Amino acid sequence: MTRRLLLVLLAVGVVACEGRATRAPSGFLAPQQQDPALSGDGRLLAVIEDQNGRPTVQLRNVQGGGSLRLRHLSRHQPHSSPSLSWNGRYLAVITQRGNHRLVLIEDRLSGKAHPLRLPSGRDPVRVSLAPDAGKLAIQTADQGRWRVEVIDLSRLLEPDGPGGPRRTTPSEPSR
Amino acid sequence: MRKRFITTASLLCFVVLGCSQNGIRPMTRVGASLRRSAESRRLPSMGQRWLASLASLNGRERVELIDLNNDTPVPLTGINQADSQTISLSVSGDGQRIALVRQREERTELMLYRRTASALQRLPINPPGVPRSVSLNGNGRLLAVQVSRKGRWDVDLIRLP
Repeated sequence: MTRRLLLVLLAVGVVACEGRATRAPSGFLAPQQQDPALSGDGRLLAVIEDQNGRPTVQLRNVQGGGSLRLRHLSRHQPHSSPSLSWNGRYLAVITQRGNHRLVLIEDRLSGKAHPLRLPSGRDPVRVSLAPDAGKLAIQTADQGRWRVEVIDLSRLLEPDGPGGPRRTTPSEPSR
Repeated sequence: MRKRFITTASLLCFVVLGCSQNGIRPMTRVGASLRRSAESRRLPSMGQRWLASLASLNGRERVELIDLNNDTPVPLTGINQADSQTISLSVSGDGQRIALVRQREERTELMLYRRTASALQRLPINPPGVPRSVSLNGNGRLLAVQVSRKGRWDVDLIRLP
């Protein structure tokens, strides 16, 4: 009897540890989604979707799935490597201008865009924004090797930590 | 000679001011430490005071977590296994959890590492699919993973205890 109870408890424990999975919210005729990035508070999800053949960053509410408007990120594709701050105020993504890739950070609270050319002059390959938006880590290529650079953004961006202002943009109908 | 010095100094000031006006500054001490400790480094993922990345040294790649307060790696006992190759990683904002996608014995697996327990756990994907790219939220309780399934890319959200 005790052995059976232990087996049941073990099975419950295993199921609990595995977590519960759901599909990310998307529209009726959902395009394929790649390169997910969650905001620190877990409310927002940025993904790269194919829009008319162009990889384009999209921002969605995790609950409900409404698509949120991005003012500066409807062009300069292909987009890659999205990254969000804690409340999703800032979205960093790699875009393309001419023959160079650059990091663009959209401030959804002020509506400003911050295009960043790296101090090293190298093109970014992947980026990751710290939850409070104080730092940005960037993968670059240098003389045939991958490098990671870290830059301080504290003089450029206001902090967006837990308890900071949440940016609410009207949801658009899901495609 | 003096004139040349002044011109050079003015040019340097212009360059330095130009960079700082842009508002971004390279963190040179961290950068030097990252270059010193690995031949190459990729897949950066930032936590609040943490930087996780895949560091290559002597031909071996290892998941590394650096405390940016002192630029020192912290122990990640059991996360690096000789027969596996990491293809994506993400650290939670608090630095306590690392999610990774790894290839091992021709299988691609989604894994979660808990620093408090020094435990690496495989997370099942339902319905079945092949994971590619992963992201954790701030407290490591929500995970988003890109999965290939029936010839298309989806993103699954997994809530973790």
